[in-house]
Amino acid sequence: MFKSNFMRPLSIIAPLAIAALLGAATAPLAEPQSGGTLNTTTTGYRTLNPGVQSGAATGVPGSQIFAGLVLIDEDYKATPYLAESWSVSDDNLSYSFKLVQGAKFHDGKPITSADVAFSLDTVKTNHPFGKAMFGNVASVETPDPSTVVFQLSAPIPGLLLSLEPLLMPILPKHVYGDGQEVKKHPRNMENVVGSGPFKVAENVPAERLVLVKNEEFFIKDRPYLDKLVFSVVKDSLTRVLMMEKGEIDYIGFSGIRPTDAERLEKTGNLTVTTEGYGAIGYIHYLELNLRDKPFNDRKVREALATAIDTNFIAKILFGGRTTVGTGPLHTGSVFYTSDVPSITADLDKAAKLLDEAGYPAGANGERFSFTLDIPSWAKQAHVPMAEYTQSQLGKIGVKVELRQAPDFGTWVKRISSFDYQATMNGSFNYPDPVIGVHRHFDCDNIRNVIWSNTQGYCDPAMDAMLDAAAVETDLDKRKATYAEIQRKAAEDLVFIYMPQDFTATVYSKKVGNPPASVFGPLAPWHEVYLKN
Amino acid sequence: MVKSLSKRIGNAVALLLAVLILNFTLIHIAPGDPVEVLAGEMGGATPELLAEIRASFGLDQPFHVQLLTYLGNVLQGDLGYSYYYDMPVTNLILERIGATLLLVVTALLFALFIGTALGIASAQKRNSFLSHLVTVISLAGFSAPVFWVGIMLILLFAVAIPILPVAGMVSADTPSGSFAYILDVARHLVLPVLTLASIYLAFYSRLSRASMLEVLESDYVRTARAKGLSRFLVVYKHALRNAILPVVTFAGLQFAQVISGAVLVETVFAWPGLGTLAFESILRRDSPTLLGILFFSALLVLIVNILIDITYRLIDPRISAK
Repeated sequence: MFKSNFMRPLSIIAPLAIAALLGAATAPLAEPQSGGTLNTTTTGYRTLNPGVQSGAATGVPGSQIFAGLVLIDEDYKATPYLAESWSVSDDNLSYSFKLVQGAKFHDGKPITSADVAFSLDTVKTNHPFGKAMFGNVASVETPDPSTVVFQLSAPIPGLLLSLEPLLMPILPKHVYGDGQEVKKHPRNMENVVGSGPFKVAENVPAERLVLVKNEEFFIKDRPYLDKLVFSVVKDSLTRVLMMEKGEIDYIGFSGIRPTDAERLEKTGNLTVTTEGYGAIGYIHYLELNLRDKPFNDRKVREALATAIDTNFIAKILFGGRTTVGTGPLHTGSVFYTSDVPSITADLDKAAKLLDEAGYPAGANGERFSFTLDIPSWAKQAHVPMAEYTQSQLGKIGVKVELRQAPDFGTWVKRISSFDYQATMNGSFNYPDPVIGVHRHFDCDNIRNVIWSNTQGYCDPAMDAMLDAAAVETDLDKRKATYAEIQRKAAEDLVFIYMPQDFTATVYSKKVGNPPASVFGPLAPWHEVYLKN
Repeated sequence: MVKSLSKRIGNAVALLLAVLILNFTLIHIAPGDPVEVLAGEMGGATPELLAEIRASFGLDQPFHVQLLTYLGNVLQGDLGYSYYYDMPVTNLILERIGATLLLVVTALLFALFIGTALGIASAQKRNSFLSHLVTVISLAGFSAPVFWVGIMLILLFAVAIPILPVAGMVSADTPSGSFAYILDVARHLVLPVLTLASIYLAFYSRLSRASMLEVLESDYVRTARAKGLSRFLVVYKHALRNAILPVVTFAGLQFAQVISGAVLVETVFAWPGLGTLAFESILRRDSPTLLGILFFSALLVLIVNILIDITYRLIDPRISAK
């Protein structure tokens, strides 16, 4: 202990001294420092095991507690984490991973290939995207404790992306393999044994979650931080005030409005960024029930899209802090293309299209009316977008009645039972389109389940392209297929895409190395440090 | 007194049973499906999984079967299992009830004592500056929405003049179980208590002022004054005892309202109590948890009312004599 404390200042001073002796003209780069407590918040979580639950509430702390085989960098490239190396067979049907030697769980037991096999099986069975991610993993072989081989029945181009701690956390088989249902396992919340850079020290779900440094983490000298404290704060205004006062050092998925961002930046101590959400890809859209009149008519949908000026929404309603969406893929995705048929806002043209579609203006100027549902979640985005849509469509004789859902359950029930005309909606892309995008377009995914193909779109040509993209391993060919898919979605006007979500991370200037990969706050924070 | 009290307790038990049945029925007929919410929170699920979840919570049974099962379980001390938190409701409530009681009882006592003191003081000099000030503050406190008062207090005492924390029950770095922890909780308690007490402070000051004014006009007080008793004795021994009766009555009745007020205050101040849990349970259609909270609140209100009844009899012996 004495030695490490004594050596720490030396390790910081030495490079600076050498630079000074050499007469370096440039300012020395800041050296990460060990120690300190990072204060952050959570809106509350029902489990700490990301292997059985998706979403940021579990994912952010979960990625600190559990390690994954790989990490994904800013360019969507996999880099070693618990797997120090891997190889892929020529036919892309076999992936062999070599685990880091000496890696241990938080209870001191070694992390072996058996744990990896157990984790994959758990995720495949229990995670909402388990099947989408690992459905084509036919078997997992464990030739020795540090080698694990995935045998695939068909190529999974996004396999490595799904091996991040968020999506495939390495779980201890000796804890969760006791025969109890992993989804409801008591150890998901009590006495949690993880494999990641931080260990659970205190878990009071109503109050706070305290994680402390895992001294035996498999990456030497990491993490830098001694402690992470997640205080439970549900109200976004309260979070803004806490940030303003400096009670919080870092928040991902902050839930703030663009106007709050300006206010927080003015403090001079805080940075607000929308970077680091590429792999999540949060997009908003106006969803129309395509089964019934008038939205089963493409011309009507085109009229609506022509009346709504999404540039206005992005610039004025979102303060210019977000980007206009052009299709089902987030602009941060490697598969995104802007080369799709676009529609320019024009009220006269919109009115003409409705005339052509057989909806002329009546004596009172009204053509038709419909109810637009507003979800109970992400109100800061949905409410202004819905109100703007109502006002714009009113100008072309379409009467829109807004219906604000009182709670999540009411909205989910309406949409998943297809008992709606139109709704503001939004969903995550997730790192691979197979997980987050295909679900909205697949003919066989028209199900009574929220965030499936609830609008009822089905086109065999689209299905064929989705099936091809799902197994294409050549990146360029895959990009080309997804470009076609985006063009087809725009041509068919499956959804009317709104500006992308203003998802922001807010952090104090004293935070060094804020998580910068495409997973942002959902990636492990072992490189994060506090200055001074 | 014992006989009437046991009758009172008997009534309370019957009332509690009625509350259970009514709450269960109301929640059952409310729109929204907890299973859909659970599936939504998971990001999506197959119809088979929906059916499986429904069966695992007994939600596929007819209403009367569900109600009878629920009542039977409650009688055995089992309040059910939370759909969302995957844990027994009783544990969930016991984890948080301490924080709510701390907030609610402190706020109620604060409002009761300070409100009554202000009311009595202003009643004695009804046209003084203090009297008018109390009237104005009462009006403001009573009309302002509680969450607005909370945010204004945060802006004033935590952001503009940063002497108190913005939210939470304890600072991130305070170790649990230490003396520093108690002090830290007390510091965090100030703003939520002031916010929650603001409405009731106004109410009690108005009520005690009106009641005191009426009593001070009565014949027996005039007689006491005529006997030459000191002002202190007249006000605090003779008048207060009668003037305080309506205040005590309302304290009991209002306990339920203070608990409901805590829902908003706890949300604004990130206070880890039953209020936030109730709020989330409604949004998530977690009916066993919501029913459990309603049951606990009803139980608390009944207990407090029985205690108020006893207090009432102690203050006014005529009631026991009757």
